[in-house]
Amino acid sequence: MKRRKFDVAAVPAKTAGAVDDRFQVATPLRKLLNKVFPDHWSFLLGEIALFSFVVLLLTGVFLTFFFEPAMTEVVYNGSYAPLRGTPMSAAYASSLDISFDVRGGLIMRQMHHWSALLFMASIVVHMLRVFFTGAFRKPRETNWIIGSLLFWVGFLAGFTGYSLPDDGLSGTGLRIASAIMLSIPVIGSWLTSSIFGGEFPGTIIISRFYIAHVLLIPGLLLALIGAHLGLVFKQKHTQWPGPGRTNENVVGERMFPRYALKQGGFFMVVFGVIALMGGLFQINPIWYFGPYEAWVVSAASQPDWYVMFLDGSTRLMPAWEVHIPIGDGYVIPPLFWPTVVLPGILVGISLAYPFLEARHLKDRKHHNLLQRPRDVPARTAAGAMAVTFFVVLTLSGANDVIADKFHISLNAMTWAGRIGLLLLPPLAYYVAYRLCLGLQQHDREVLAHGVETGIIRRLPDGRFVEVHQPLTSGDGHDGHAELDYVGWVVPKKMNRLGALGPAIRGFFYPIEKPAEAPVSPGHPPVEPRAEREEIGSGESRR
Amino acid sequence: MTSDNDRRRGLLARLRGRPAARSRGRRRLGAAVRLIAALMLAGGAYTVFAPGVQAQENPPLTGAAAEGKALFDVSCVTCHGRNAQGVEGRGPSLIGVGAASVEFQVSTGRMPMARQEAQAMRKPPVFTDEQVRQLAQYIQELGGGPEVPEGNLRADANLAAGGELFRINCSQCHAFGGGGGALSSGKFAPSLRPASDRQIYAAMLSGPQNMPVFGDNQITPEQKADIIAYIQETLKHDQDQGGFNLGRYGPSTEGLAIFLVGVVALVFASLWIAGKS
Amino acid sequence: MSTHTEHQAPQGRQPLDVLDPRVSRFDIVQEGARRDDIEIVHYEPQVVPGSKAERRMTRTVASFFLLTGLAATAFLIIYIWWPWQWEPGRGGDKYYTPLLGLTLGVALLGIGFGILTWGKKLLPKEVSIQDRHDQPGAPEDRKITGETMLYLADEMGVRRRPLLGVSLVAGLLPVGAVAAAPLIGGLISQPHKNNQMFTTGFAPADGHKVRLVREDGRPIRPADISAGGQLTVFPGIEHGVSNRHADSPTLLIHLRESDAVASRAANARVGHGDYMWGNYAAFSKICTHAGCPASLYEQQTNRLLCPCHQSQFLITDNARPVFGPASRRLPQLPIEVDEEGFFVAKSDYTETVGPDFWERP
Repeated sequence: MKRRKFDVAAVPAKTAGAVDDRFQVATPLRKLLNKVFPDHWSFLLGEIALFSFVVLLLTGVFLTFFFEPAMTEVVYNGSYAPLRGTPMSAAYASSLDISFDVRGGLIMRQMHHWSALLFMASIVVHMLRVFFTGAFRKPRETNWIIGSLLFWVGFLAGFTGYSLPDDGLSGTGLRIASAIMLSIPVIGSWLTSSIFGGEFPGTIIISRFYIAHVLLIPGLLLALIGAHLGLVFKQKHTQWPGPGRTNENVVGERMFPRYALKQGGFFMVVFGVIALMGGLFQINPIWYFGPYEAWVVSAASQPDWYVMFLDGSTRLMPAWEVHIPIGDGYVIPPLFWPTVVLPGILVGISLAYPFLEARHLKDRKHHNLLQRPRDVPARTAAGAMAVTFFVVLTLSGANDVIADKFHISLNAMTWAGRIGLLLLPPLAYYVAYRLCLGLQQHDREVLAHGVETGIIRRLPDGRFVEVHQPLTSGDGHDGHAELDYVGWVVPKKMNRLGALGPAIRGFFYPIEKPAEAPVSPGHPPVEPRAEREEIGSGESRR
Repeated sequence: MTSDNDRRRGLLARLRGRPAARSRGRRRLGAAVRLIAALMLAGGAYTVFAPGVQAQENPPLTGAAAEGKALFDVSCVTCHGRNAQGVEGRGPSLIGVGAASVEFQVSTGRMPMARQEAQAMRKPPVFTDEQVRQLAQYIQELGGGPEVPEGNLRADANLAAGGELFRINCSQCHAFGGGGGALSSGKFAPSLRPASDRQIYAAMLSGPQNMPVFGDNQITPEQKADIIAYIQETLKHDQDQGGFNLGRYGPSTEGLAIFLVGVVALVFASLWIAGKS
Repeated sequence: MSTHTEHQAPQGRQPLDVLDPRVSRFDIVQEGARRDDIEIVHYEPQVVPGSKAERRMTRTVASFFLLTGLAATAFLIIYIWWPWQWEPGRGGDKYYTPLLGLTLGVALLGIGFGILTWGKKLLPKEVSIQDRHDQPGAPEDRKITGETMLYLADEMGVRRRPLLGVSLVAGLLPVGAVAAAPLIGGLISQPHKNNQMFTTGFAPADGHKVRLVREDGRPIRPADISAGGQLTVFPGIEHGVSNRHADSPTLLIHLRESDAVASRAANARVGHGDYMWGNYAAFSKICTHAGCPASLYEQQTNRLLCPCHQSQFLITDNARPVFGPASRRLPQLPIEVDEEGFFVAKSDYTETVGPDFWERP
């Protein structure tokens, strides 16, 4: 037998060469491998949303194999006895089958639902990070807009998905959605009738929501997510200020291998947490809700958390009906304001915010360095105000559950929500503003006078003073040379300076025994250790 | 107004007439009450004397009812008045409420009430089951009214029919999971989890507090059995598929869970991933 | 994009000859990074090769991966052999999903933490600095691109040949409309077909009054509801008890005597004097606010609460909204008893049932 000489070790190189001959990838691939990403825990929040979207796609595809998006009436004959013999829609029956008669179907359904909640939650948390650190400023306004749109498209994805099982709870939500559309002046009844294919509920809405939920909306989400990531890649990630970090560079790790490994690992962690929640926590037990019937309702009917703020605003709205006395008379129902006008305003404000702020501050510069929330009190306070507004509305969306479980009058809860919605946001603004100023002042004090050491010295005249450890060796008298604040963490503890030994390492418990650290109060001040420099001493090191 | 309604009124009048007729002997009855109270205060074995006292009654009370009357005169008379006629501003008349109502209110500890509130709360019951039966028997013999039948209250029940009835008639207040819910101005529909078969049956029959009455004509005893079976076997007997049910408060606790568990866990993970150590 | 590929090494540093066989691999990597404007300023192995610390970390990572293997195997075993089908009363199956979640979660977390530990603890730490180059293009480049685009427009010559532009717009607009027409035309649906928004299943058909029936279709006698009771009723027509008549469900309430008196007086005030029958009154179950079934009837306070947005209606005052966002009272159904002794609707609702909308008179 004739053996050809075959050098296994040369295969990768040869293959790579062959690929490059054809596609000329060497240079672009090098650029990709050589991309620097800054590392900070808060930069990983958006990834949670991305990863839970991947889980949504995976579990969602599984569910489509078994779900039947039809409102045809069938009689349930599956294994869940308490509903056997009940007439219901095919959509509900197939959702029950996924839960009871498809092996492993229930955990898929629950993982799908939990990852939807996580998707929306991490979008909001990520958005708050971007907002409070000023990451939305020029040149990243477009990505802020795409991010805001992602929330609203995710909202639609969530609502359409929530409606698909056609159970008693989701049907109630659908009924309210139809009433919301109906409340729009002039076109309301036409819009509702067109979407539902006639009078509510009709026989087509589940099929329409299905195609929106599995094709149109995910397609839109994918496109927006692609654009979002592409822009992050193109514009490079923002970074915190600190030693060596400027508006013109990125300080961090190259994408490969360490950064990419961490991302891959984090994806598995997100997936794992969703799997744990999907298995251990029951979500949306549709078998208790029964099929949707227009006369069936439950106490504590709530939408998923990201819709709850609209439910809350609807509950708090006073019964103000606008009559327009033309002809037979026309009506704008009270439902219109909290469910159509309010979200419209919220979308408008969130999309326009970067431009409003830049216009107000007359700021046309590029910003690649983040701001600490305390350094921009007005924005931080405005954000706190918005968060408070949202939280009051969301809590009001669950006010009947709160009233019931904490034995508060339901009517009192409504009034508390109405008053709270007006009073608490301005209060939050004030408190956040003062907090920011206080934190700023403390930073500057430390920079001017040094770190509190906890050592009390008695002066010759009998006074007691606390000894401060200045942050510089000092060119002025007494070492009290004032440092410039550079927008990053100011060390406030002695061990942060390297004095008193290193900070105790370890996440939940110390890896080293604290006793190993020298604790002598007379320990002389030590120069900052080299490997701790990135914490920043406050000195600018350009 | 039809004759049917007039007949009903006549019936009501007759029902009310019974205690009125007996009030002729009120003085004698008052004496009996005082006698019993005195006996009890003296720590005497009133059980020996009670039958003797009751023997003088015009409509004789059975043994159990007499025991119930004794209990009533000690614990309930303050608000519900002598012979359960009611006291203006304190407690309603119990004539005609029936044994079902007494059984529900007393066996769930709602009665005796400590003070007037928006709604009586479920408490550990003051009386034993035996005493509850005696009180119920007393009220029953005093004014008639709905009674909870003896025996198995969910024999041959149909779970699916029960679920259907539960969702039409019960879930709007007690929620799909039976956990209860809020009503207007501090009132609430209680959780069904601690309720026994007899208590659920009694509640449907008597419509305690703000709960509507579901008489036997509206929901037949067989249908009541279906509902009880659905509550006890499906909602309470925990067969939760898919893990811990988060209290079955619906999407509000699910929303809380995704932040408290999901987001918190992942933020910790990202702190660790991006951490220096 | 391509402007930086030919980027010159920073001044004072000789570009590295990467083809020189004596150059180490790391130097080549560093040279590559430099060509992408990256300065690797700090590169430090975290563990000494062959050290105790390295072996310990390697074992940790390996044990994470092995844990994954174990959990995944357990998942498969449970998935296949654990009794999973729901059976009344058995309850063993309730551990199926939690066990799947636990094993799957542990398996995935094992991979995750294995990879993370590998990356965090075994790979060298580095700090690299990359230039952003996010300044806008040079004025010259902007000028060239701008002029090119303007030249394109000139070549097209729309400005010189305005007819082309006008005719193009005139031609494309209808095409756009053609694209939209099937979507809108297919979806649009006349909301007032058969007057459907203003009628319910209780509208008398062929002069026959419609009976009130239960959810199982049985008609209702007055004696069926005790005083202080309520019953959900439906029009006794074909598909009356179905979502096809989603606006028809009605709450039939048997009021107590004193409440009925108040209720009748209130009825008379709005000209509905004959809407009740005896002490019975029927109100739409569909909330006038958002269409939920407002059915939390409090028999002592005579309030009807809607569980969706907490609107409260006072039954004894024509179901007037007394709290919450609802602005319109619940429509009342005029009822009577027919010669067979069953409840019938005298006529359809005289007010529009269901949530409010623009053209409701």
